[in-house]
This record gives sequence, C-alpha cells and structure tokens, in this order.
Amino acid sequence: MTTDAAGVTDRQARVARLRRVAPSVALLLVLAGALLIPIAADDPLLRLASPERSRVDGLRAAIGDVPVDGLVLVALDADLGTYPEIRATTRAALVDLAAHGIRLAFISFTPEGRAIAAAELDRLRRTGVTPAPADLGFVSGSEAGLVRAIASVLPESAAGPIADEIDARGGGLAAFDLVLVVSGSDLSARSWVEQVGPRLPELPLAAIAPTFLEPELAPYLVSGQLTALLATLREGVTYAEAIATEPGDERGPTPGALAMLIGMLAALAVLGEAAARRLTGGGRPV
Amino acid sequence: MRRTVVAAMALVTGLLLILDLLVVNPSLGQAAGALNELLVLLAAAAAVGGAVTLGAHHLREVAAGAGSRAGSMVLLGGMVVVLVAGLRPGSTGSADPAVAWLVAALLAPIAASIFALTFLFLLGALRRGFAVRGRETSVMAAAAAIVIVLLLPLGGAPGDWLASGATWVRAVPLAGVFRGLLIGVGVVVALSAARFLLLPDRDDD
Repeated sequence: MTTDAAGVTDRQARVARLRRVAPSVALLLVLAGALLIPIAADDPLLRLASPERSRVDGLRAAIGDVPVDGLVLVALDADLGTYPEIRATTRAALVDLAAHGIRLAFISFTPEGRAIAAAELDRLRRTGVTPAPADLGFVSGSEAGLVRAIASVLPESAAGPIADEIDARGGGLAAFDLVLVVSGSDLSARSWVEQVGPRLPELPLAAIAPTFLEPELAPYLVSGQLTALLATLREGVTYAEAIATEPGDERGPTPGALAMLIGMLAALAVLGEAAARRLTGGGRPV
Repeated sequence: MRRTVVAAMALVTGLLLILDLLVVNPSLGQAAGALNELLVLLAAAAAVGGAVTLGAHHLREVAAGAGSRAGSMVLLGGMVVVLVAGLRPGSTGSADPAVAWLVAALLAPIAASIFALTFLFLLGALRRGFAVRGRETSVMAAAAAIVIVLLLPLGGAPGDWLASGATWVRAVPLAGVFRGLLIGVGVVVALSAARFLLLPDRDDD
C-alpha cells in the first residue's frame, strides 16, 4: 500500500515536472522549426534588415576608401557568448574586404577572441581566400598589449608577403590602412579609441559589435573617433544583404526573421500573462 | 608593504603613462614602453597562474571527492584536450586545425547555446519577479515589452514605423541614461582611486 502510494507520488511529481518543462521545450522546438522555413529578404510581411542604412553605407565607404592591395587589420576580440549575433556581419565584412582585393591580417588581444580568430582563419583558408590572411596571433596583456602593438605588431614567427609588407611599413599598427575591430565584452572598440586613437589619430577604426555595446560605442561614431560602426543585429543583416553576391558565399546563416518574431511574441505573451496574473491577484507563478 | 608605498608606485606609474600620451619625448616613451612590457608580462603571468590554480583546485576536488566530481572531471578533461591539441609535437599552437575544430565545432556552439538559454531563464525570472518585487518588475517588464514591440521584424510601413521608434529609443533615452551611468561610474572610480592614493591608511598613521 505504502509502495503504491509512493509510486503514485513519484508519477505525479514526474507529470508536474513535465508540465513545467513542456512549454519551454515546445517553444524551443517551434523556434527550431521556424529556423528551417526560408524567408526571402524582400518578404513584404517579415523583414529583419533595418530600413536605416546610414551605418551600413558608412562601413562600405570605409572599406571602399582602402586602396586596392591595401592592408586591413582584423582585431578579432569577440566573446563566445555574443559572437553568434555578429558572426554573419563579420563574415560579410571579410567577404566585402576580399572583394575589394584588400590584404588581411588577424590579431587578438583576448583568449576567447584568439580562439574565434583561429577558427575563422581556418575557415578562410578552407574557402581559398587569396591572398591567405596573415595570422599575427595572440597578444597578451589586453590594453597593455594593445599599446605595445602600436610599435610592433609582428610576432617572431610571422612570415609571408603580408608580414613582409607590414614590416616594410614600419611593423606597427600604423602599417595598416584600416582596423576592423570585432568587439566583445572583454575588449571593445572603446579600448582602441582610448589607447590607439590618441597615438595614431590618422588610423581609421571601424567596429562591429554586439547590441549591448551600442550605447557605449555610438558616441565615438558621432565624434568621428570611429569611422564606421555596425552594432545591432538589424544593421548586420542589412549589411550582409547589401554585400550578398551569391547564395553560397560562406558568410554563414543570418538569423531567421520568423524565428525571431515567434520568440518575441512568446516573450510578450509570457510578460502579458505574468502581468495579468499580478493585476488580478493570482497566485505566485512558477 | 605600507599602502603609501603602493600608492606612490601607482601614482608614478599612472603619471608616467599619461605624460607619455601627452608629451613627445623619446626617454619618456622608453620608460613608458618598459612599464608597458612589465604590464604585459604581469597579465600573462596572472593568466597562467589563474589557469594553474583552477586546474589544481579541481584536481583537489576530484581527489577529495568533494563538490561536483563530474563537473571537475569534465573541466579537467577539457583543459587536457585543448592543451594536448595545442602543445603536442608538430602542433602550430592556437592556430592548429585541431584547436580550431575544437573551438568552431564544440566550444562556440556550446557557449552560444548556453547564452541562448538566457532567453528562457529571463522570462522565468521575470515571472517570478512579479511575485517577489511586483513594482520594480512591472517597470522592467513594461520597458522590455516596449523594446520588444519596437524590434518586431515586420515589413512594410508598420515595420518602418517601429524601426524608427527603436532608433529613437536607442539614440535618445537609452543613450542618455547610459551616458549618465558611464559618467557617474567614472566620477565614483576617480574619487575612490584618489581616496585610496591620497588619504593615508589607518595603519600608516
């Protein structure tokens, strides 16, 4: 009898747990399904791209100002948590730079940034980008390392035509025609503006950043300390669409508008339900 | 070491670095460069020391059977796998294809998945927040709801209108509050640093 009662209680507990978890799992399944439904960029009902294009035009102009065969430093210091938000934008920028015949070099000042940079370099090599980007590796010391790189950015092991060109131009950050800072939570374009901007005022700095950094970086764009800035998902999607050349251009997937819409409506529904429960004096939600 | 000595070192170091930024002088530049080199070495030493301490802590946990043994073993296993991939003979370090694969195929998706789950956790936290701190949560939820509505990925004229609203919210109230916060934090940090550096410690009196 006692065993039966315990079994019933266990079953009830399991059912209660399933009921608690079911809405979240169902939402995740719906979101995953929505991601599989292709939505055209010019769909009249759903559009993730921003109608405001000034920042996209700003980055395209900054890249356009780099001379053919120019050198661009990609300072990849994104973090693993927020990189998915800016991955499509970053890859679009790399495609854009390559399309302009610009030579690239990668450097990182954070360990997470270095890990992402290594993976992106590997991807670029596999896609056969020519000339192959130079890998300037990881510089420790965060902002102190950044200041050190102003004078010397080439590691001992650097070799190849791009490294030779950097060396011929002085071997420091001034060797580059543009720096594209891919920002994260540990080291953002703000550090570049603060540490490199006053020392190399002629060096153009462009930035790609996740949305949470936008309020921090936007004033630098207005003041001209940043030449260009893409810092929201919608701007990134607009940019990726603007430079899209062919479907398989290896930029990686851009976020799905339908999945975003469903997720946002679900969030609004949950907020509304919780607020209504509060207003009607309902019990404590679980 | 007396705090006044530490304070003096910090003051001299800071002043030297600021002067190097303001004045073009080769000797000053060399001195600031040497200090910067020390900072780089210090940061590298701190990073290595932190990793060793983390590994040692979890080794002790596994040996003593304390804490989450499974978690500690996963962490140690992960460290060993990445270190072997990056340090084995013939490896090219962090640029090695094995390390790049570990990052691109395992680390990045795992981190992104955990980050994506904050969506569900935040909603759950807001629901509970209504029961615990109703007024504050209501303000937060109302602001969140407005921002979500403004960011809805809709096409056509309604989508344009919402996007304009989102741009205004970002450029005016959000930017204003954020800059106010930044200035406030800056003032507090400057005052705290000045207090630490300039006021003598009780032990020094």
